Amino acid sequence: MSEVRELTFSEAINEAYIEEMQCDENVFLFGECIRAGTFPHTAGLLKKFGEKRVLDSPIAEANMAGFALGAAQEGLRPVVDFMYAGFSYYAATEIFLNTASYYHVHGSQHPVPIVYVGTCGVGRRVGYEHATPVYGTAIHHPGLKVCMPSTPYDAKGLMKAAIRDNNPVFFLWHTTMVAQKGPVPEEEYIVPLGLADVKREGTDVTILTLGLQVHNALAVAETLQDEISVEVVDARSVEPFDLETLLKSVEKTTRLVIVDEDIERAGFAAEISALMMEQGYDLLDAPVKRVCHPNFPSPGGYMDAYTMPTPERIEDAVREVCR
Amino acid sequence: MALTKKQKKLLYINLTRAMTLDRMMMRIIRAGRMTGFYHEGGVSLAPGVAIGSFLRKDDCLGPHYRAHGIAEMVSKGVDIPSYLAEHMGREDGCCKGRSSYHWSYPDDKMYGAGANLGMPYGLACGYSFAAKYKGTDQVALTAFGDGSFQEGRSYEGLSMASAWKLPAIFWCNNNGIAQHTELSNVYPIEDLSRVAAALGMPTMIVDGQDLFACGEAALKAIDHARKGKGPFFVEAKYLRAQEHNVGGLNTSGDVPRSQELMEKWKEERDPLKLATLQLLDEGILTQKEIEKIQKDAEDEADKIEEAADQSPKALPSIEELLAAVYAPDTVVENA
Repeated sequence: MSEVRELTFSEAINEAYIEEMQCDENVFLFGECIRAGTFPHTAGLLKKFGEKRVLDSPIAEANMAGFALGAAQEGLRPVVDFMYAGFSYYAATEIFLNTASYYHVHGSQHPVPIVYVGTCGVGRRVGYEHATPVYGTAIHHPGLKVCMPSTPYDAKGLMKAAIRDNNPVFFLWHTTMVAQKGPVPEEEYIVPLGLADVKREGTDVTILTLGLQVHNALAVAETLQDEISVEVVDARSVEPFDLETLLKSVEKTTRLVIVDEDIERAGFAAEISALMMEQGYDLLDAPVKRVCHPNFPSPGGYMDAYTMPTPERIEDAVREVCR
Repeated sequence: MALTKKQKKLLYINLTRAMTLDRMMMRIIRAGRMTGFYHEGGVSLAPGVAIGSFLRKDDCLGPHYRAHGIAEMVSKGVDIPSYLAEHMGREDGCCKGRSSYHWSYPDDKMYGAGANLGMPYGLACGYSFAAKYKGTDQVALTAFGDGSFQEGRSYEGLSMASAWKLPAIFWCNNNGIAQHTELSNVYPIEDLSRVAAALGMPTMIVDGQDLFACGEAALKAIDHARKGKGPFFVEAKYLRAQEHNVGGLNTSGDVPRSQELMEKWKEERDPLKLATLQLLDEGILTQKEIEKIQKDAEDEADKIEEAADQSPKALPSIEELLAAVYAPDTVVENA
């Protein structure tokens, strides 16, 4: 048997686009500088699908998101690429209020399938607009789904699920992983939204995380393997969130560290901590520990070491809950 | 485009109905039986009637918020009982009583209203892009006021529609005041259509109190967009002879607007009064026919109110609401 081929994140997303655009005429790509491709995930698509289905948008995010809602209401399935997810904040009204609420407030009768795409993440010393991971803000608005892959395999499968989903879905990918490689099989597959993935099994402590931080968590698990057995759960999808898989993991390990690149206050990690208090309190032998971006604005310069959940910070947290 | 007698009659009937239903809405909100807001239409409904009367059912229409789109909707043939029931928070509302004034009628290509100003521009681009994408001859019309035009989104939407030659009609109802802020205090020019013209779009200015002038403008704009010539911008200069919303103040800044002026406008610039005089003068309708149109409109309003009133208050369980946040999956066969 031949080995499974390796693709980059960008190539994996590119394949998802091609497959979904081939199977549904209503899927089209619309975004900031996607024809040339500021990021390589849209490379070659203009040539393959033509100007009608691959469109550079004006640099006008509010209008982009309003446009997407209108197009979706009229039966199309837009994939809207903001380049950096932080740029989408200009469209907060359109995304977080109008589009997120549309289906429910209008009587749950008329779905609006839209995918918002953007890179994000700390680690490139570029400051808050390019770094903000958006998902903490997004999940505060029911009606949106949100996912963030950690591997090219998950990136392709989640993107396909996002395009097929009948709801607005934020697809976030980490800027530092654009060219990262991983195995992606030739055969078609989907990674459903709302399904976490245990990336490494362990018995002493669970680390729940997503995106780039899955790799930091795995590195910590490797470092500690002779002392502490770490289980790494990749959330993959922030909303819907797979609480069942997390509870099953914590039932075994009795300890939980949540690693989240977002600002600590009122974010994803805070939400999962609260869910654990309400639904998993009896499973825990130690308080839940969060490793997040501290509560100050994300700086540029050389301060990554305290804003990023580095392997060192994650290791400290793991040791703390295992004391 | 000159109107036929039949078209004039249609506009007249629809304006009578719209203004009668507006009075019905006012009765209901004043009696405390409506949830949310209402923004009285009063003498401001001629543009909405013109738009709604001449669009096809399959053309997208985002109405102006004034009178919550009643002029556009009744003219386009939307089911008004479920619209009223929605405003009253009832089970038979078009959105199951969840939306208040956000109502929507996807089958009539009217996807509802929103309270944050500036949404219509992007939406109109999306609707008209979809028509072009699918290769149909549908057009999309969005109506907005001078208040909404102050949002940067207006520039974003107009420029995209013009650059991509989208079949979109931008209909601006300019009464020169947004709530209590005069346009002249915050905007450098009086004729907003100049902005559209600068972006390469054909424009026209029309008297928003003149029902038939609005009708002619609507036909011209729709024809232009339908023929694939790109977007069109209409600026209707019209009047607000009452407060912004029911129960609100009617001031310009903190200065009350003159009651005498409002009364004078209602007396001299009421579009229905003007249209009545014109149609009698042109011999298109008789006094008797006009009375019948008015009576029919009153009967329609009574029936609508009665139907909406019979529907129970919508109070679904929290579980039901939680289960209704996301649209279900479409089953897709994997290859």
